[in-house]
Amino acid sequence: MARFVFTRLVQSLAALAILSVVVFILARATGDPLHLILPMSASEEDYANARRYLGLDRPYVEQYLSFVGRALTGDFGTSLRARRPVGELIAQRLPNSLRLGAFAMTVSLLLAFPLGVLAAVWKGTGIDRAAQVIAVLGQSLPTFWVAIVLIEVVAGRLQWLPAGGIAGFASYILPGFTLGWFVVAGMMRLLRSGMLEVLDSEYVKLARVKGVVESRVVWVHALKNALIPVVTFAGIYFSILVTTAIVVETVFAWPGLGRLAYEAISSRDFPVIQAVVLTTAAIVAVVNLSVDCVYAFIDPRIRYGR
Amino acid sequence: MRRSIGIAAGLLSFALLASPAAAQGKSELTVALSSFSTEVLDPVLGGHVVKYYMSLMFDYLVGVTPDGQLSKDAGLATRWEPSADHRRWTFYLRKGARFHTGEEVTSEDVKFSLQRAIGKRSTTGYAGPLRTLIGDIETPASDRLVIVTKEPTLIIPTYLSRSLSTEGMILPKKYIDANGDDVFAQKPVGSGPYRFVEQVTGSHIKLAAVDNHWRIGVPRYKTVTFKLVPEETTRIALLRRGEVDITDVSRERVKELERESFPIHFRRDEAVLTMWWILPRDGQPTKDKRVREALNLAVDRNEIAQSIFAGHADPAYVPLGLSWSYRDIGFKVTPEMPYPYDPARARKLLADAGFAGGFPLTVHAYQLPGLPEGKAFAEAMAGYWQKLGIQPKLIPVDYPAFRKTWFDRTVPGAMGYYNVANRDWIGTYAFLEKQAYTKSKASDTVNDPEIDGMIEQVMRQTDKEKIATLMRNVYTRLRGEHYGVPVVYLHSPYAASKTLGRWNPGTVMYDFFIDELASSKR
Repeated sequence: MARFVFTRLVQSLAALAILSVVVFILARATGDPLHLILPMSASEEDYANARRYLGLDRPYVEQYLSFVGRALTGDFGTSLRARRPVGELIAQRLPNSLRLGAFAMTVSLLLAFPLGVLAAVWKGTGIDRAAQVIAVLGQSLPTFWVAIVLIEVVAGRLQWLPAGGIAGFASYILPGFTLGWFVVAGMMRLLRSGMLEVLDSEYVKLARVKGVVESRVVWVHALKNALIPVVTFAGIYFSILVTTAIVVETVFAWPGLGRLAYEAISSRDFPVIQAVVLTTAAIVAVVNLSVDCVYAFIDPRIRYGR
Repeated sequence: MRRSIGIAAGLLSFALLASPAAAQGKSELTVALSSFSTEVLDPVLGGHVVKYYMSLMFDYLVGVTPDGQLSKDAGLATRWEPSADHRRWTFYLRKGARFHTGEEVTSEDVKFSLQRAIGKRSTTGYAGPLRTLIGDIETPASDRLVIVTKEPTLIIPTYLSRSLSTEGMILPKKYIDANGDDVFAQKPVGSGPYRFVEQVTGSHIKLAAVDNHWRIGVPRYKTVTFKLVPEETTRIALLRRGEVDITDVSRERVKELERESFPIHFRRDEAVLTMWWILPRDGQPTKDKRVREALNLAVDRNEIAQSIFAGHADPAYVPLGLSWSYRDIGFKVTPEMPYPYDPARARKLLADAGFAGGFPLTVHAYQLPGLPEGKAFAEAMAGYWQKLGIQPKLIPVDYPAFRKTWFDRTVPGAMGYYNVANRDWIGTYAFLEKQAYTKSKASDTVNDPEIDGMIEQVMRQTDKEKIATLMRNVYTRLRGEHYGVPVVYLHSPYAASKTLGRWNPGTVMYDFFIDELASSKR
């Protein structure tokens, strides 16, 4: 297990190193940030001053090495747009994204579990079809549209819940649901197919023959074994929820990492783009590694490195 | 059943907790905006577009009225006077004005602020021209400051006033010396009626009122919060819930909000939407004045105002014509200036110029802050020109990409546009000095020696009437030579809560004059 974790760690670090080069090059390929930072009235001298002040006049290799050297000590430089330390911006935004991601994940688990299990148990019935409809809608409706409709109707017209920003627990509900619904669909389908397979297995039939109550057969014996693919999916989706919630965070005025990424890309804010991408990649790597480790606890048959 | 009741009760309590009454006290003012630009808190890192919130935190050396006139009652300087040769400007400072640290504002602070504004760290809009103009700054007394200029000039007070950018904001020297630029940029201290409380980037900036301030008396609102809410549906929902008091809305949502009885405050003519050709003109069809006129005559400005901008726009007829300056310089739009919609004459002009069969014309299409209609507008313009036989090619880009093309002059003759914020005569001069002056190189769109000569005279001129004449002549020539395609003046709507009351958002660029709304003096 330790060897497996070590190998995966090394792989993740190598991926991060390659990614740092790619994002460094791509960020600069999008254009000159000074065109956005400086006013139209800025002279060539102003451009030269700003370029020198922000360190953009140095050769790319020097800029990259400086970025990597500082990043290794946790210093991602200063935002070109906000003129604040990038680490501070990420520290301010990441917890908001993590909290929203966790809330959305909870919502999706709370919805996907009963829907998936019931759809499997009541296969081919109205319940199954209703669950399928929910799944199809969740995956096919654009998140942007869902968010707008919820804001317009639930927040604006009915005035039941806050429309945007972070203002207590209630403000998590609409963005959390919008984010979570997309995940519900996939998770519910995985659980349904897993449950169908397990419910047809010999040990479940034996449990029934032995007279175990049906609800216990379904929710304890069958569900536990149908969870493995769902756990994998949940792990990956949690990292996606945290790191790609650009649309939801923008629509709901949620000051998270996704919004920060959007703002940075729009303003060619290289240091922030680099830091957000690397932070995102690190989160994905950590979550994937954690998921792999969790396997061993869920299914003792899995032994890594053997 | 009990569980269901519990869940329902829980949801109800969320709804109650999130209700407008709970969310907002009467002493709070909340403004939701679609963009904060760079969100910086240090005036020298900002520029015009951060004035919305900064003008509450800082005092300007020279104040202005909401309609942009210099005012001895609204700034730290209670009077100012030039020497006979207009090279030494003396400013007399208000006594008793204090920073939020409790320190009194002195001439040393003003000198420090101006030096910082034109220093190398500064990225403000007019740091460059001020750097060129200011020779020295003297502080003969704690309440007196002398700015020595390299050339005789009339424009120093206006350049350092609230009517322009952030260069005239006065900062505390001792605080910045003691704490450094970086601390100041995160915890700014000013002398305005509101002090900085907190900033959550990407979310909000919160300010709290001082007890009493010479600008507004006892502030009506204890706090003013600027919320960053990019999505319009969200801003409107916040307005409906009573969570915001003022918000920018698009022109197309105005009728809907008016039906719901939300007061709409327009900043009329807030921007002029104008198009131009990337230089150089040599070898381009637009080198011919008749072609430039034809492109103007082909456009039905009234139709654009109605169909693209929901009627909240008026035709514009002077290239780069910033109408808030017209009053200052006495410029009048004469009956022959408006471009009629005359495709037949446009076709004839094109034929006379040898382009009866049209020519390829690249038109960049992009959205801009305050111009969500950008791409639809570009498509409409291309449509008009296509009817003349011209072959427009729409290039969807983002503005920074167009700006690079424009500045690098990689596609001469191609067209771009901007919703240029309207401004008074000095702001207009500063704008023309960049966009209609050959020596500004990259950003110039005009390249006319006659206009260059007039612009050069303005800076050195010390007779107000002569300045006005020069500016009028610049406009007359811009219009006469058709140096661009002025399209419409845009009226920008701001929706307010039903309880906000009277509010005059004024006519100063990038400034809402919220301090007037918050004033107990009114």
